[in-house]
Amino acid sequence: MKPPAEAAALPLPSRPLTEEDLRRSEDRARVWLARLNGRRLMLLWLLVGPGVLVMLGENDGPSMLSYAATGAQYGVDFFLPFILVTFAMAYLCQEMVMRVAAVTHRGYGQLVLERFGPFWGWVAAGDLLLTNTVTLIAEFVAVRAGVAYFLGSSHFAGPVAAAIGVGLVAAALGLGRYWRWERFVLGLAVLNGLFVPAALLSHPHWHAVAKAVVTFSPFPGGSLQTLLLLLASTIGATVTPWMVFFQQSAAADKGLTPKDIRHGRYDTLGGAFLAAIFGCAALLAGAALHGHGGENPTGAGFPLALARVVGRPVGTLFALGLIEAGVVALLTISASTAYAFGECVGAANSFNNSPRRALLFYAVNVSVTMLAAVVILIPGAPLLSIALNANVLATVLLPVTLMFLILLANDRELMGSYVNSRLRNLAAGLIVGLVSLAGAAYAIESFLETVHVV
Amino acid sequence: MDAQKTQTPNHDEEELVLFLEPDQLVADRRRPLPRAKLSPRLTAFLLFARIAVTVFAGLAIYTFAAQLH
Repeated sequence: MKPPAEAAALPLPSRPLTEEDLRRSEDRARVWLARLNGRRLMLLWLLVGPGVLVMLGENDGPSMLSYAATGAQYGVDFFLPFILVTFAMAYLCQEMVMRVAAVTHRGYGQLVLERFGPFWGWVAAGDLLLTNTVTLIAEFVAVRAGVAYFLGSSHFAGPVAAAIGVGLVAAALGLGRYWRWERFVLGLAVLNGLFVPAALLSHPHWHAVAKAVVTFSPFPGGSLQTLLLLLASTIGATVTPWMVFFQQSAAADKGLTPKDIRHGRYDTLGGAFLAAIFGCAALLAGAALHGHGGENPTGAGFPLALARVVGRPVGTLFALGLIEAGVVALLTISASTAYAFGECVGAANSFNNSPRRALLFYAVNVSVTMLAAVVILIPGAPLLSIALNANVLATVLLPVTLMFLILLANDRELMGSYVNSRLRNLAAGLIVGLVSLAGAAYAIESFLETVHVV
Repeated sequence: MDAQKTQTPNHDEEELVLFLEPDQLVADRRRPLPRAKLSPRLTAFLLFARIAVTVFAGLAIYTFAAQLH
């Protein structure tokens, strides 16, 4: 294969080349060939990945449980269209992430550290480490809930869930290059669609669904704290700090360039569309439990409750979906932690490196997963509370992450003509405002209620 | 591909690398970018946002811990 004519005219690079360069250039050569031959579908196939992965990765175990819990508690109402709105927000944020990655070829952690200094860089990495650790524990809780459904007992479910999660993360790391890792995780991620047949088999009231989508009603009642918790956790189920870190690092690792921005948008939009459909499906499946006061639709009880009320196929599909959602999130969230850590300490951070060349990257990837696995094996650990609060913590910490993203996307020195438009800045500002309001309102109201002031 | 081979690429490998943009090479990506100039007002706003977020995160974690008892 010959390089593009404009590149062939340039002097050959004098810098030392690494195996990471060579593996990424092989992937880029295939993209160049597909573009040259006008093979549009092949080009799309080669360039999709980080956007779909980040969106379906965020349809994780706690998110699906949160959607289903909302459906069980409130039925089909305000939250169904609200999920669609939050994924539109997620698209706006992640499109900026993809664009910054394609133009700068650097991860978010590295850019914040270099452009704004070590204080902001390490604070952002600290936020990520905290939310990722809590979220990884929550993912294992979801996998355990799915496994417990099949084993009929939660006694062995913890060790089995831990073995599945750690085993798959380790296996994916053994694939040797970014492209293979990405395809492996994408293959698992499409199984997020299991929530769709689960929703269809639970026979939703389509008239109520259409009314809710069009009118955003009925607006849920109940206590203010519960409502704020659901609002904050629904936002936290669609836009989180790890998504920003992951997609930017993955897109840079994949080798996206400004020429690929259009396909990067398709990738991100397609991911947001699929994730919104699958998220709504989880809510509709959970809504089948609405009005069944005798059921206890939380955590491990969800698939069993669905099996009792709607039928065993729905319970089975929901349990399989929970295992898939948890496992895919384990893979993507552990990767985002490893990318961020490598970027902040300046160590090699790419799946295109062998473990020997990027020891720290691979070690962080596995060890953060193992740490979370160990927590779910502790007898009496408050796993359900951790799972329910993981998304809320992400929402509270998200605004600063988004502010730096907006600053990067408006940095003309970095982005040149690819900076945000005014309209996009307005939309991004509104998102930061909404996220800040939801996070702050929940934090203040729940604190005051806890100390019995209100 | 062993480590030695990557340090002394053959001609085919050098040509293959031309499919990358120059700033996609690992050597370029590791070169630090210059610090951005933040106005005092923006820096103060970011610090305020950071402190607020830390306080709210503390409140959320306290509530979570209190609910466990």
